[in-house]
Order: sequence, then structure tokens, then C-alpha cells
Amino acid sequence: MNILHWIYGVLSFLGHDIGYALAYIIESIILLIFVSVMLIFMIYLFRKYMARVQQRIGPNRVGKFGSLQLIADALKLMGKEIIFPKERDDLPYKVAPYIVFFGLILAFAFLPYGNLSIFGNLTITYSDVSIIFIFAILAIMPIGEVLAGVGSHNKYALMGALRSVAKDVSFEVPMMLSVLAIVMMASARTSTSLSLESIVTTEILPYGILEPIGLFVFFIAMIARASYAPFDMGESDSELVSGYSTEYTGMRFALFYIGLFGSIFLGSLLIALLYIGGFNGPFSSQVGFIWLIVKGLILVLISFTIWLSMPRIRIDRLVNAGWKYLLPISFINLVLAGVLTLGLGW
Amino acid sequence: MNDQWIELNIGPQHPSMHGVLRLKAKLDGEIIRELEPVIGYLHRNAEKLCEMGFYCDNLVYFDRMDYVGAMNMEVGYLEAAEKILNVPPPDRAKWIRVIIAELSRIAAHLVWAGAYGLDLGMLTPFFYCFAEREKILTIFTEACGSRQETNYMSIGGVYQDFNDKIIQEIKDFLETFPKRLEEIYNLYVKNDVFLSRTKGIGILSKEVAISYGVTGPMLRASGVEYDIRRAEPYLFYDKVNFEIPISHKGDNLARFLVRFEEMRQSLRIIKQGLEKLPEGPYFNPKAKKSMMIRLRGDGEYYARTESSKGEFGVYIVADGGVKPYRVRVRSPTFKNLSILPVLSKDVMLADMIAISGSIDLVFGEIDR
Repeated sequence: MNILHWIYGVLSFLGHDIGYALAYIIESIILLIFVSVMLIFMIYLFRKYMARVQQRIGPNRVGKFGSLQLIADALKLMGKEIIFPKERDDLPYKVAPYIVFFGLILAFAFLPYGNLSIFGNLTITYSDVSIIFIFAILAIMPIGEVLAGVGSHNKYALMGALRSVAKDVSFEVPMMLSVLAIVMMASARTSTSLSLESIVTTEILPYGILEPIGLFVFFIAMIARASYAPFDMGESDSELVSGYSTEYTGMRFALFYIGLFGSIFLGSLLIALLYIGGFNGPFSSQVGFIWLIVKGLILVLISFTIWLSMPRIRIDRLVNAGWKYLLPISFINLVLAGVLTLGLGW
Repeated sequence: MNDQWIELNIGPQHPSMHGVLRLKAKLDGEIIRELEPVIGYLHRNAEKLCEMGFYCDNLVYFDRMDYVGAMNMEVGYLEAAEKILNVPPPDRAKWIRVIIAELSRIAAHLVWAGAYGLDLGMLTPFFYCFAEREKILTIFTEACGSRQETNYMSIGGVYQDFNDKIIQEIKDFLETFPKRLEEIYNLYVKNDVFLSRTKGIGILSKEVAISYGVTGPMLRASGVEYDIRRAEPYLFYDKVNFEIPISHKGDNLARFLVRFEEMRQSLRIIKQGLEKLPEGPYFNPKAKKSMMIRLRGDGEYYARTESSKGEFGVYIVADGGVKPYRVRVRSPTFKNLSILPVLSKDVMLADMIAISGSIDLVFGEIDR
């Protein structure tokens, strides 16, 4: 029973075909609204949290405690004049922000969200291979960044895109390897071990306890993927002005900006699901969703703290860190996971 | 010029160019092969304007040179102008100048410390530094009603005497600031990423530093113990105890540590200044308000002082009139900037930004 069937149950008087079609559309809209609300909340949270860390007040003029600030900002960005660089490569320049943004939103559709009282299971799309789906979709985002960098016809943007890709490539492999370790361990207990949902539901102990090395590698790789300090190579705002988003204004810029926070949120949810038990917790059959969001937000706050207290690492050191340190560590982790699975039967 | 190199114009509008520096860089991938600083975007003709104003008026142009530490600029100009005009300030005014100049030095170094974090991509220390700088600016506001371009000192003394409130504020600042300074310091030096960006990057050797005329914290970080406050004391710097921090490493981290140690030494000087502050007039009666524009000077004089950036020299030629015949400024940052192409040859772009940040550029002073 997931949310799709729940909506279909309400619409079943329309017949099978129309009912399901409508249910899919409504489901997509619910997903979009959920993700947008969460991201807007996260940006607000970031600004307030950043202000607390930096001994400032943060937004406090629009709405109670500045809660409507983000809406005001969005309206401002929409009202801005859109400036196109003269020698742009038109199509890549224009589609790049959408690729980044919608690639991200799509990844949220495959996450298992757990149960929430009468709604039952909130998972949007159930798939036996959801891990593969999610990481395949995440691999689309760098393409958007490259298109933005190349299409802008700007040296800063190009260098930002190159840095961004170098970073993504060097952290993709350790990240996948540490996920693979979990899939291996889960395969001892479930036949659909590539599904995030069954990984979470069949776990005995959170995988973060069983393989802390994997958690460490995945967390670092996720920081790099989400691209914030100390790995904010795509932006590098003190060196490359604003990296691949240098030439963007208005809503297209906002899509990149939201994409950054979306990656942080997605990464936090993935870590919560894979390593710290996801929606498992007391009363998880009723409030599993709340558990997931709470764990995710705690991870988000940890990410923000790292972001705010770190300078940017140099690109060559970053790539070294990916290939020379994280990759061997994640191989060791993989071996350890094999030993745990086969030898001890965890 | 290699075909493979990219020519990149960094600045004048760029987040980490500290104003309006333009760098013409030739990049081989991420590595800088050639670098040429282009200056002059903030040129306001200050030296020429000084020839058209009375001696007392010209102070405002000096406020706008090193605008983050304006008081040190005023000290530099007045050291020369008062010698030319022969209106020495009374002792109380001299002590007030010492205290205020050191406060200004701390304020300037705080701006640098915060902005250096931004150069390296670190957001938070900037706000910590500016919150502390704000307290100094509050003291300035109390003293002269202005925050940044203070125009506090004047020929023959200072514009206003220190009252009890200002002295209390400075004492409060002396109490609270050391703790906050250590907090900011720890925020930087206990961060491994920061150390990896600064340690062994941009090493400036003693010989090169001397041959390029580099002064100030940059020179001291390269192992030369040279500070005008000690080498050729002006005001009452020979009557206070302080140490000149030096380091022999010559890299970014050394410059960072030297500047932080300088702030601690400045606190010592301020403390001693408050203790030794005598009662008495704060103004030379020869330079009373209506008299000020009638002051005439003859001869020429070169005064050098230690600003927060280095040796700040002011050369004034007078022809017996009420206005100077020629004013020439030796800008420390201009000399320090000349080292940037040398240091950033064959380093990565990110390191070049870290090096240019460690020089402590203020463009009001370079372009004048």
C-alpha cells in the first residue's frame, strides 16, 4: 500500500485507466510540493542557522521571524531582468539549470519515506532497484553543470565546470563502493537487496554501526557531491566568481541555488536511510516518516556546520583525497563487509 | 605565450580582489604561468589635491588612503606636516594618537583576518572579526563622531579630548577583546584545511623581500626584524614596551601568525598608553581653529611611520606658503603588491588568491 494506491482508492469511481492516470499526476504534484516546501524550509533553516553561528540575527523582517523571506526572494528573482550572455551556446545555456534541478527532484521520487498514520506508506515510486535509479539520476546533475559551464562562454564558468566534474568523478567511485558494501550485507537477508526500502526494513542494526568506515566515506563523498565547503569546487566563489553559475540570473540562477540545497537534503536522507536506520525507530509503523525527516534534518545541520566552518580545499588535494585515500578505504570497507556477511553471518 | 594557455582577466570586479585590483593571468590549466597586476582603478589624485589644500585640510585625503586603518594614515601625514609647520603636539595629544593608532591597527588587521577567511572560502570568521571591529569603530565614533574616515587628528593635536566614557570603552575593549581574538585565532589555526592552504604556500625569502622593498608584517614574516616604531620611533613608541613579532618561514601562515601577534602587541601598547596618559592640553595653541589655515611652513621633510601594512612615508616640500608645494606618499601596499607576480609564478589559481589575500591589499592606498 503506498500513496499511489491510496489516491487511486479515492479516485476508483473513475475507472481503472483514468483513475491511475490522475493518481500519477496528483502523486507527482504532491512530490513536487513536498520537495519544494522542504527545500524552502531548508534554505530558511540555513540562513537562520548561519546567522546563529555567525552571531547575527538573520532574516527577520518579512513575516514572523523572517519566515516569508524566501518567498520574497523568489518573487524578487522572478522579477529580475534575465540577462543572456551575447556569445552563449543557446540550448545548453538554457537547459542546464533545468537538468540540474529536475534531475534532483526525480531522485526524490525513488526514496522510501516510511509510514505516516492514515496515509500508509508514503513511498512515491516503489522499485526493486531503487539504489541504481537514484545514483543513475545523480549522475545526470554533473551533465547540467558542464552544459552550464560550456554554454555560458565564460572562462570562469568553464573552469568551474571542469573543477566540478573532476570532483564528481573522483568521489563517485568511493561513494558507489560504500553503497555496494551495504547491498552486499543486505543480500544475506533479502532477495531485493538493491531496493532501499528492503535494505532499511530488513536491517538488524543500523549499517552505520556495522560499518562506520562506509559511513565516513559516504558522508565525505556526499559533501563533495552536494558541493559545499570544504568541497565547493563548482562555485569556488573567491576564485572563480561563482563557477558554472557565473552567467546566470533570475530564476535560472535560483534553480542552481535550490539544487545545492536539494543535494544536501537528498544526501542527508540517503545517509539517514542507508546508515542510521532511516524510518526505523519507535512506532515506526505509524510515524516512520517523521523519524526519517528528523534524522535527515539532524544530518543537514551537521552538514551546515561543516560548511560554515571550513575553508575550501585546493582542487589537486581534493582529487588526491578521492583517489588516493577514499578509494582504498572504501575497498577495505568492502572487504570488511564481505567478512561480516559471509564469516559472521550478519 | 604557449598556445595551450588561457588568458584570464581576474578583476577589477572580482570577489577576492579587495577592491579594484586587476590581474592579467596566463593559466596553464589551473596553474598560473604569468601574472601581471594592473592598478589605477581607484586613482583619485590625492597627492595633487594636497597641493591645492591648506595643510590642515589635506588630512581628509589621507583618511581615504588606507581606509580600513585611517588613523595610522593621519599619524603619518601629521608627523611630516607638523615638522614642516613647527607646531609640535602636546604630550597628551601624542599619547592619544598612540592609543588611537594602535586601535586602528587592530581594526585594520581584523578586516584583513576576516577577508582572508573569505579568500579561502571560509565564511564565519569574517563576521566574528567585524563584530570586534565594530567595537573599535564605536570608540572612534565616541572620539570624533565618525567611523571610518575619521579625520580625528589635526595639526597640533587632536580634534577632541578623551573623556571618561571613551577611556572606559577602551578599557572594556581591552578586557573582552583578547578572549575573542583567541577564538578567531583558534577558528583558523586549528583547522587542518586552513593549514593546508597556508603552510608552505607563497614562500617569500628574506633577500627577495628586501630587494622588492617589502615592509610591514610581510617583511617581518620573512625574518627581518624591521619596524619603524622601533627602528626610528615616532610619537611615544620609544616609551612603551612591546615586542616585534617575526617569523622565519615567510609563507602565508607566517604572515597570518605575525599579524595576529601584532594585534596582541597592540593591546599591550594601548594598555600602557592608558596608564601613561598625562593630564594637560590636547591641542597646541599655535594651531587654534582660526589660526590653522594661516600656518606657513618652509623646507622639506620626509616622515615615515609604521602603518598596519608597512612603512608609510610622507614627503612634503614646502615653499613658505599656506599650502604644500608637493606631497608624495610612499605606499607600503604598492611595494608589497609588487611581490605578487614573483610569489604566484607556477602556483595554482587557488594559491594565488591565498597569496594575494595574505599581502593585505587596500586599494585606496595603492592608487591614492
